[in-house]
Amino acid sequence: MSEINMDRRGLLGAGIIGAASLGLGTGASAKNPAPLAPGLTKADFSGAMKAFRGVVGAEWVFGDEDAVAPYTKTYIPDPNGYHKPVGAVCPESVEQVQEIVRIANTYRQPLWTVSTGKNMGYGMTAPATPGQVVLDLKRMNRILEVDADLGTCLLEPGVTYQQLKDYLVENNIPLWIDVPTVGPIASPVGNTLDRGVGYTPYGEHFMFQCGMEVVLPDGQLMRTGMGSIKGSTAWQAFKWGYGPYVDGLFTQSNYGVVTKMGLWLMPKPPVYKPFMVRHPNMEDTPKIIEAMRPLRVSSLVANCNLMMSASYQLAMFKRRNEIVPDGAPLDEVSLKKAAKANGLGMWNTYFALYGTEQTVAAIEPIIRAQLTASGGEVMTAAEMEGNPWFHHHSTLMEGGLNLDEIGLLRWRGAGGGLAWFAPVAAARGIEAERQTALAKEIVEKYGFDYTAAYAIGWRDLHHILALLFDKSDAEEHRKADACYRELVTRFGAQGWASYRTGVNSMELVAQQYGSVNREFNAKIKHALDPNGILAPGKSGIM
Amino acid sequence: MKRIFGPILAPTLAVAAMACAAPLLASQKLGETQELRAPEAVYAKTCGYCHGRNVGPIILGRAIPADTVKYIVRHGQNGMPAFRPTEVKPSELDALALWIEKSTARSGEHGQ
Ligand SMILES: Cc1cc2nc3c(=O)[nH]c(=O)nc-3n(C[C@H](O)[C@H](O)[C@H](O)COP(=O)(O)OP(=O)(O)OC[C@H]3O[C@@H](n4cnc5c(N)ncnc54)[C@H](O)[C@@H]3O)c2cc1C
Repeated sequence: MSEINMDRRGLLGAGIIGAASLGLGTGASAKNPAPLAPGLTKADFSGAMKAFRGVVGAEWVFGDEDAVAPYTKTYIPDPNGYHKPVGAVCPESVEQVQEIVRIANTYRQPLWTVSTGKNMGYGMTAPATPGQVVLDLKRMNRILEVDADLGTCLLEPGVTYQQLKDYLVENNIPLWIDVPTVGPIASPVGNTLDRGVGYTPYGEHFMFQCGMEVVLPDGQLMRTGMGSIKGSTAWQAFKWGYGPYVDGLFTQSNYGVVTKMGLWLMPKPPVYKPFMVRHPNMEDTPKIIEAMRPLRVSSLVANCNLMMSASYQLAMFKRRNEIVPDGAPLDEVSLKKAAKANGLGMWNTYFALYGTEQTVAAIEPIIRAQLTASGGEVMTAAEMEGNPWFHHHSTLMEGGLNLDEIGLLRWRGAGGGLAWFAPVAAARGIEAERQTALAKEIVEKYGFDYTAAYAIGWRDLHHILALLFDKSDAEEHRKADACYRELVTRFGAQGWASYRTGVNSMELVAQQYGSVNREFNAKIKHALDPNGILAPGKSGIM
Repeated sequence: MKRIFGPILAPTLAVAAMACAAPLLASQKLGETQELRAPEAVYAKTCGYCHGRNVGPIILGRAIPADTVKYIVRHGQNGMPAFRPTEVKPSELDALALWIEKSTARSGEHGQ
């Protein structure tokens, strides 16, 4: 049994390398259907799809090219059309998920799970390897519990941030949500499972997760933490349960299908005061981080800061050819001029204070002194009223909803190409300075722009580079692919690996974390999922 | 043409009218899945975050044919993501597309 399974796994692995190196596209069409998973026959695939229809009804299983189309849209570079699913199945209950997983085992049909599937710039609903059927959990969108006293909730995967916010507002519950920048269409469960971030003090999402329900690859249902104790009232209150802590195993992985998740919600503070610090020069990078770090480590500034470059900010609401002519490099003089005209600095760092009148009034002077000494201008709503960038970030830092940043997709042509490159470093000025220099060198070599930000976490930096390109231009698309790979490889060589990556580069990034880590992940995978049916290739795990 | 589309359009219009009668921001009850939403609500909670806010082009008041709206929603055009039938239900999309086709421009909206 295990020999057969290992063979199939070998095939799946070879599928990644083989198809990629041969440049095999999966661009599905009637003439050229998307390839099935390695080892699967047409009869297996049709058998699985038929059985799925028996579980969820024909209208919630998608197999033909037109019906699968919404699942194939991506922003990431994929010049060979490798990351295309062959179908989708959309359950509405946990029992249906269990049944689907059992069918997938019978037919060896791999499933790529998504919650709301808006992993934009990381692959949306596209799988890491060909031949997968998307397990789309968006229909499971119940808000199961909200405890206003404890500040907790229990959600199904398809609940969007918008739904949760609406529920809290309509029921007058004074709790906040914490959103990634694209809250209205994305989900707390999906985002947390990919270890995403937001911008209130609850911004490190996985830290504020508490309890999960998971369908395991054999169809069994497991609850983590206190969830498996009959009568426990603490499933959403106590994270650790007893024995090994396993919740992390289900994030950025393919060990289970999460069907419920508990989250902590921040009580609405009496006072919320957003700030923006403008620094005039690109060279100010290390000063800003050195000034912010002690404020973050001590939690005097409690939320994850976004330190936004002028180019990233301008790309949200402007088109590139409003700043420089088409084909010209995005030079610093033009950038500075455009930034100034729009009330921006070359770096714009956003943070907020949360508390009471007294605590905010006590902390503000300390912070102002520190940031002013770093050469920054400290601004508040009083000075920035009406500025669309300030408005955007002050909305985010109170868990508000908008999609302003989707404007990035129109910076460069109309083709909609975006890949997030997100290497991690310790929160030290010198590291950011070196990262910025290296990133600029690489992207500019390929003719792209350094449109980047730093998320200053508690003690870490996420350097978030939006690699923006015109996907409708085949040459530019290929260049973006090569550029992305060079970014990953050369940053990795300096000890800076990504905290998260798109389906186009999961294998590449996994290699950087080393063979012992990979083997450990693989052993767990093989023990839990001997048939390799859950999301092969996720985080490079087969 | 009219005869071909008549029987299809009639129920769609009925759905649209019914949906419009529902409260604008139909609320969700604890433990229940989200109900079908009226076009106005789908627009406010999804499309309108980009369209008319300088992120995506203005789409209200331009008599964009309903079929075009449906195609773009399901395929995603350029920088716009695609929306699946699990996100915007088929009947919600039918009503929304027609509502957009018949809509008038809103003075507060801006963008290209
Ligand atoms: C302009 C822009 C700005 C963005 N800003 C941010 C930001 O500030 N912060 C941030 O974190 N992201 C950001 N993103 C990236 C992304 O869009 C969000 O992270 C989004 O929340 C992820 O999509 P989702 O919530 O629909 O998750 P999904 O796409 O549903 O899930 C993400 C991944 O998690 C896994 N997964 C999902 N559900 C399950 C499940 N039930 N069981 C097992 N595995 C599962 C799958 O591998 C899936 O691919 C941004 C994207 C864009 C385009």
